[in-house]
Amino acid sequence: MLTHLAGGWVIDPANGRDETGDIWIRDGRVVEAPPGEARPHTTYDVSGKIVMAGGIDIHSHIAGANVNTARLLMPAYHHAAQQRPDVTPLANAGWTTFATGCLYARMGFTMVVEPAVAPQHALHAHLELADIPIIDKATLSILGNDDFLLGLLRAGESAAAVNDYVAWTLETTRALGIKVVNAGGAMAFKSNLRSFSLDDVVPYYGVTSRQIVKALQRAVRDLRVPHPLHVHCNNLGLAGNAETALATIAAAEDVPLHLAHLQFYGYGKEGERGFSSAAARLAAAVNHAEGLTIDVGQVMFGQTVTISSDVLRQFNARAQAHPKKWVLFEDDANGFGIVPYAYRADDFYNAIQWAVGLELFLLIDDPWRVFFTTDHPNGAPFTTYPEIFALLMDRDARAEWIAKLPPEAMALTTLPAISREYTLSEIATMTRAAPARLLGLADRGHLGVGAVADVAVYENQDDKAAMFRNAALVFKNGELVARNGEVTARRFGRALTVRPERDRSIDRRMRSYCQDRYGISPDLLAVPESAIGRPDPFELVPCAT
Amino acid sequence: MDRAWIDGRPVTLKVAVAEAAKLLSTSRFPVIAGLGADVAGTRAAIALAERLGAAVDHMHSEVLLRSLDVMREAGVMVTTVSEARARADYLLLVGPDATTACAELPQLLVGRAGPEAGGGLRHVGWICPGRGALGAFGEGLQPRTIGRDPTELPVLLAALRARIAGRPIGKTRTPKKVIDALAADLAAARFGVAIWSATDLGPLETEMLHGMVVDLNVKTRFSSLPIGSADNALGVLQVCGWMTGFPMRTAFGRSLPEHDPWRFDTARLVEAGEVDCAIWISAYGAAAPEWTAVVPVIALTATDAPMQRTGRVAIEVGRPGTDHDAVEYAEAVGALTWRAAARPSHAVSVAQVLAEIATALPTGA
Repeated sequence: MLTHLAGGWVIDPANGRDETGDIWIRDGRVVEAPPGEARPHTTYDVSGKIVMAGGIDIHSHIAGANVNTARLLMPAYHHAAQQRPDVTPLANAGWTTFATGCLYARMGFTMVVEPAVAPQHALHAHLELADIPIIDKATLSILGNDDFLLGLLRAGESAAAVNDYVAWTLETTRALGIKVVNAGGAMAFKSNLRSFSLDDVVPYYGVTSRQIVKALQRAVRDLRVPHPLHVHCNNLGLAGNAETALATIAAAEDVPLHLAHLQFYGYGKEGERGFSSAAARLAAAVNHAEGLTIDVGQVMFGQTVTISSDVLRQFNARAQAHPKKWVLFEDDANGFGIVPYAYRADDFYNAIQWAVGLELFLLIDDPWRVFFTTDHPNGAPFTTYPEIFALLMDRDARAEWIAKLPPEAMALTTLPAISREYTLSEIATMTRAAPARLLGLADRGHLGVGAVADVAVYENQDDKAAMFRNAALVFKNGELVARNGEVTARRFGRALTVRPERDRSIDRRMRSYCQDRYGISPDLLAVPESAIGRPDPFELVPCAT
Repeated sequence: MDRAWIDGRPVTLKVAVAEAAKLLSTSRFPVIAGLGADVAGTRAAIALAERLGAAVDHMHSEVLLRSLDVMREAGVMVTTVSEARARADYLLLVGPDATTACAELPQLLVGRAGPEAGGGLRHVGWICPGRGALGAFGEGLQPRTIGRDPTELPVLLAALRARIAGRPIGKTRTPKKVIDALAADLAAARFGVAIWSATDLGPLETEMLHGMVVDLNVKTRFSSLPIGSADNALGVLQVCGWMTGFPMRTAFGRSLPEHDPWRFDTARLVEAGEVDCAIWISAYGAAAPEWTAVVPVIALTATDAPMQRTGRVAIEVGRPGTDHDAVEYAEAVGALTWRAAARPSHAVSVAQVLAEIATALPTGA
């Protein structure tokens, strides 16, 4: 079946295209324009419309035991799943797996990475992902607070042993990459430490956070996993924590590293309240660190619920819970904490957070290295993306907001002085081309011949939020799945995984370890294909050669 | 061979499924109850409920929602059996069933804490043990017990929490110095874990206990481990959560999922005559419904014994993890896990039967 998108404004930065042109699709892939008089099965006249590859979200908490606990904690937020757009964002999201896929698709997103899966909850996460329609998905597995890894480091075992364990985890949990969350911090909290920074030592294990991050960073590189180690730094949310982020950036040296939701680390200690934006310094450091990528974790105002595997941080944030209830789940390794929170436009601290995110977007020069996230739902639900695109593309829209926010907060940021506006090509880079490259997906994030035909078509409008809220047409694997923001066909995508080589002796070792320490078989952690309940649920992404 | 019955008479599976579809398609408001099913069976049940506009409930919703209500009203700090095994230097048992509600628990908690927790023998306290016994994992342990009669539990927990927070208490049946001694033990724990059976504790005791655990964390580390998930109740809860956003006792009568623990309680729905048809699922056994009013029942149970006589339609299904591979909640890990069939058979699964019923429904039903 041949599909023809005719005469659109094709914005495809990966292939250097920004021009009026056609896209041809056959059997789910982008193909060459057929020679002679081609007779497409379907032609869509998209003249005047913007044509991009499907969006890719690299960091959004959409599935798993932690997300599901948040759902169950907050029944009131989807009590009324009716259309109530601007008032209750989570209610608007209608917070289920099924709504998640549809809501992403209507914005033209076709792949989402769930970035925080505890290995023992991998099966649960993949079952939820399997019930998210339309989009492709992937997971990052969390290591760095687990007894086995810390035990390897304590015993001074070889880098090869760490590599084998990381490879074993990736295959067992069917992940696309590895994330570390407050490395050592959750373990230290179990020994009753209440703060934990880069050079603090985990009791008993005798290793620092820095050593854990570097060991995992090296392992991910050595295993040739495309996505570099995904790091949630220490000291999230605290005044003056820009120093922690800067120290982590310095520690990365030349090995690739990804820093997640950097906005939550963009804080200085200036001003009367000892809380200010340090985004300009962070952005300068990012601009200088070639191998570094970051995502923002933009804050938007409204009620949300924070979902984090940083149990130490979540415990310390319990007093700010709104409404006043929270869950802390601790297991071997990270566990998770769920703390509801309301970001308020009239709150000094929240206004600074909002500005820090935008400053990072606008002060980091290279759209290939800064990624578009709200750390859904931690900074804001992903349903706020259209409004954020508008803020990035329109300095007047920002000025309107800045005028409404506490002036004493805005005075402690550089945002009012920034005039940059993102171009559509930069938006396409940040949300399509760059994520695909970061995750090692050669056939996604672009519209070149051979690419998976994930395509988003937008009405070219001055109101950028309206434009990105309801894509005119969305194709997933060449199939039309949404039109004018309405889902028209429901299909199921796949979860993308990597499987680096390893020495299989680690498998025997894990078997006896699980038996000795937990009294269980590691088979209980397995994610068999047949358990997922959908045909062909996984797709293997090759490691770099 | 299929084992299926209509009004107690043996029929083929196909005939039974057709009859079930007929009952459901003419029903104005059915309920899918029992729901002792694995993850695949639950997914199929909820998908069918959406199509039928039915309510979804579980046979252990009462106990489960009691715990869940504490979470969604006040919040909780919880851990896993695995982590308690590795970390806990102190176990606080609460109520008589604290050691027996989870079959694997004694074996998992026997022995010493892991080396990262000092490797010492665990200390144990037990509030209101009643006739409960430490059993296998108590070897070498000398629990400090306070209270006996479980009716004392609410007062004891309140008094204990008050003393931990340094507040005065009134007169209690158990002497204050005994309560103080236990409070001192808890405060001295490096990583304590409170363990109880969800069936033993009422909502206020549960909330008091969670509040006490939170209070203890101001100075030391403590968590909790409510146990006892029969008939995959916690697994079903997870599936309900991601598919509907809500726990069980959720209905699709107005097409959007609506959750109401009172309104969609199956026993109440049946006794009040609000539902006119029920699918009863008990794949882990053959539990019978507790209601007494008459309503046509389509029963999917692991053995034919109790249901073939009472069910309008009865179908024997395989046991998850025994007859067929299954995903279900494993208390030992605190997560959904895969269990390969222990004795694979050709018995149909809940998911298969429900899918066939859905296929047999007339279009638009």
